[in-house]
Amino acid sequence: MLEKPDKLVRYDPGEYRQRFTFFFWVILVAICLLVMRLWYLQIIKGEDLLKRSENNRIRIRDVKAMRGIILDSRGVVLVENRPSFDVVIFPEDVKDLQGLVEKLVALYAKVNLTFPMDYETILENRRPFTPLRVDRNVSREKLALIETHSLELPGVGIDVMPVREYYYGESMAHIIGYIGEVSRDDLERDKSSSYKSGDLIGKFGLEKALDRFIRGKAGGEQVEVNVIGKKVKTLGRVEPVQGYRVVLSLDSQVQKAAWTAMDGKAGAVVALDPRDGSVIALVSRPGFDPNLFNRGITSELWEKLSSNPLHPMENRAIAGQYPPGSTYKLIVAAAALEEGVITPETSFNCPGHFDLGNHTFRCWRKQGHGRISLHRAIVESCDVYFYNVGKLLGVDRLAQYAQAFGLGARTGVALTGERRGLIPTREWKLTRFGVAWQPGETISLAIGQGYNTVTPIQLANAYAAVANNGEYFTPRIVQRIETDDGEIIEEFRPEKKAVLPVSQENIQLLKKALWGVVNEPGGTGGQARVAGRDVAGKTGTAQVIGMPAGDDGAAYPYEYRDHALFVSFAPRDNPEIAVAVVVEHGGHGASAAAPVAKKVIEAYFEGKKKP
Amino acid sequence: MKIDRRLIFNFDWMLLLFVLLIVCAGIVNLYSAGYGISGEPYLKQIRWVFLGLFVMFLTFAFDYRWIARYGYWVHGLALLLLIAVFVVGAVTKGSQRWITLGGFSIQPSELVKITLILALAKYFNDHRLEGKYGIRELVVPFLIVLAPFVLVLKQPDLGTALMLMILFGSMVLFVGIRWKTLLSLCAIALMIIPLGWNFLAEYQRERVLTFIDPERDPLGSGYHIIQSIIAIGSGGIFGKGFMRGTQSQLKFLPEQQTDFVFSVFAEEWGFLGTVLVLVLFLVLILWGLKIAQHSRDYLGTLIAYGVTMMIFWGVFINVAMVLGILPVVGIPLPFFSYGGSSMVKMMVATGLLMNVSMRRYVLQS
Repeated sequence: MLEKPDKLVRYDPGEYRQRFTFFFWVILVAICLLVMRLWYLQIIKGEDLLKRSENNRIRIRDVKAMRGIILDSRGVVLVENRPSFDVVIFPEDVKDLQGLVEKLVALYAKVNLTFPMDYETILENRRPFTPLRVDRNVSREKLALIETHSLELPGVGIDVMPVREYYYGESMAHIIGYIGEVSRDDLERDKSSSYKSGDLIGKFGLEKALDRFIRGKAGGEQVEVNVIGKKVKTLGRVEPVQGYRVVLSLDSQVQKAAWTAMDGKAGAVVALDPRDGSVIALVSRPGFDPNLFNRGITSELWEKLSSNPLHPMENRAIAGQYPPGSTYKLIVAAAALEEGVITPETSFNCPGHFDLGNHTFRCWRKQGHGRISLHRAIVESCDVYFYNVGKLLGVDRLAQYAQAFGLGARTGVALTGERRGLIPTREWKLTRFGVAWQPGETISLAIGQGYNTVTPIQLANAYAAVANNGEYFTPRIVQRIETDDGEIIEEFRPEKKAVLPVSQENIQLLKKALWGVVNEPGGTGGQARVAGRDVAGKTGTAQVIGMPAGDDGAAYPYEYRDHALFVSFAPRDNPEIAVAVVVEHGGHGASAAAPVAKKVIEAYFEGKKKP
Repeated sequence: MKIDRRLIFNFDWMLLLFVLLIVCAGIVNLYSAGYGISGEPYLKQIRWVFLGLFVMFLTFAFDYRWIARYGYWVHGLALLLLIAVFVVGAVTKGSQRWITLGGFSIQPSELVKITLILALAKYFNDHRLEGKYGIRELVVPFLIVLAPFVLVLKQPDLGTALMLMILFGSMVLFVGIRWKTLLSLCAIALMIIPLGWNFLAEYQRERVLTFIDPERDPLGSGYHIIQSIIAIGSGGIFGKGFMRGTQSQLKFLPEQQTDFVFSVFAEEWGFLGTVLVLVLFLVLILWGLKIAQHSRDYLGTLIAYGVTMMIFWGVFINVAMVLGILPVVGIPLPFFSYGGSSMVKMMVATGLLMNVSMRRYVLQS
């Protein structure tokens, strides 16, 4: 065959046509192999792999419950919730953890911030299927930074934690307390709680005591996420239930006044309603800011708080134990009258001192009060009078009455950390020290010095008992716990504690004397006088160390100065408020403590005028 | 040019139908796979399909004997483009595969597959033997494949390079090779493989090791294949439904518009869908073999056979890869994977098949 010039020559494939059978089979077998594999994956393993694809995309995430809010007796919101934002890492969505951490560090560095965790810490703390909080309580700008770079940060998300906003900060810190991250101990102790590591739990004060009411119930959310762990849509949601609302008996106005009146002082104020034991105000100075504890307090701040010599974390109103000083004379007088040791007319001569054996006890008034009867002895707070009464009464009978007034025992207020104080007896001294009671000790005791110590809330309650004509209550700080709709979950009714073993006649007599302390000329409590309110009360100055007569202690170092006390109620007839004030190392009760009580009482009546 | 009416009469409508069916399935799938991705890949792909159809028309408009005459030249041109890749090519994901020509990014390593088939077909057509080929007769065809092989391997693109070798091997098996030669070549290959291991890039070694045991690094290189298997398997018999594939829509699948596009399809259409598509491909391939078998001449047989094998290997390797039967090598699924170069290449292949098919009865003009 001639070749054409265009060379478009044809050759017959000939026997090549027969070769296709082999390739036909090769191809058929190959495709069958693929189909078999598809059969295996999609039909035999289909169910399993479907589950794995679901695991890929579906995450169960907690929706934190909001804690219940706390209100005062007037409905003023004391504590609310606000959102706090955390940067979290979802471990199952991170493929290259080290690279991710490097990226985060670089991102923070770009805006001159330091990323708070390093790779090793994160590696150590990661748990499967638990979001790891790598940066807590971040600022808005950090939040924006993370959000704008979210595509480069697979597995990094923002988690919202509801935290507490304590509107009254320091002034109510000791009552309301604070929250903090749940500890391993908390989790083990309370297995029934739905708390998970990283959750916030009440750590102190009412936040702790009422935690099971306040905590609410966490909800859950089933979300679909994409490959970088970003939520695409919500598949299902169980709404969280907010914790119950707590209504306190506290009056925030009075509380504020008490807090302000104690400005610059260390000590405590307790205001009670004698009619039912409601706590109207309860202040302990110095305080601390509970907002700082919300997301874990820094170690240096904690160090500062715990090393402060004034112990701001201590709730002095219930845990501060002070010698009652002259405020004790009320109990001494009541005991003596009831026991028939004296009558209201009994008088003693006060030459300014009292001698027992070879020891001399001084009256606070160097020149003495002269011959003086019970009423004026209380009004002028004559020490010698009570030395005489004490000597006649004896330590054990005095202790019996002191206990009947609720001293030396916890009042039972629903706050943690309350202390007992101490009412000494002969027996107590013998077992405690192995030494017999000395007669001289009874003499000091009669003016509230010596072994005996009381807490401010005990004092307030003892005076409230007198104010309420003998009947007194367990101090009550929580009125009720209710739902958002006002449905009552638990109501704390006034709880009658005891009746004083003192006759009405004597009570009226004592009340009149206490009124005289404030309102009669020569009374020591004149600085607590409130026009038209008939304030009754008793001053007290508790010695920390013995000082020479007439020394006001101003020259002594702070910690040796006397404690100033003032306990009062008002109005004299049908009292509505009883106030105990202790100013640590404040000097005289008349000048340091009485004005504080006055301001508290004023604030209380001022508040009553408003609806 | 005078158009022979028999060309129109013999136009292979079935071939066009099969290809268009597959292309449509591919675009529908790509709509889902690329959903939410900026630039809407399926729209771009439609543009590539139309460009491809135009190029296909050009390819079958001219007699394949004319085209094959310039086989070496065309192959040489493709080699030049492969060299140009190193000079002006863009680096993506660690390898240099693309060059930009007049606004288009093209991948010369895709086009060289076609030119290789043409060049080899021309060579074997020009150098027919009575018996089978021995080592000496295979030196030149081996050089024809070695040049692009080395260049592509350098990019580095192991998958495409191996594909070139597989195409070469398929051609050689078809034209006939002596048993002795075949065995010794296999022996040499077995000796070269351990040596070649040292030349592989780190990521390529990882891929091979991962293929042997995907779970050894489930968050690293094994991730792709595990996610692909989860996607395919979770489709079950009936699939999760169009646009409802969670693995793909939530982007757990890697490279889901290109190499792993079949996983998207398998997840959404299930076993029924995947078998249907594989059957479509099988019909297309067998149709291609039929064209080769019934070609009017030897050159036509070689070309049709070559491009058919190219389609077959493309389908087999890609699907086997996403199913975890073969290691992850970057081979696109013909007509399905997103990408202009691949689409145009497959359309040219179709054009060549068409060319051979419609000229089987044409007498010498």
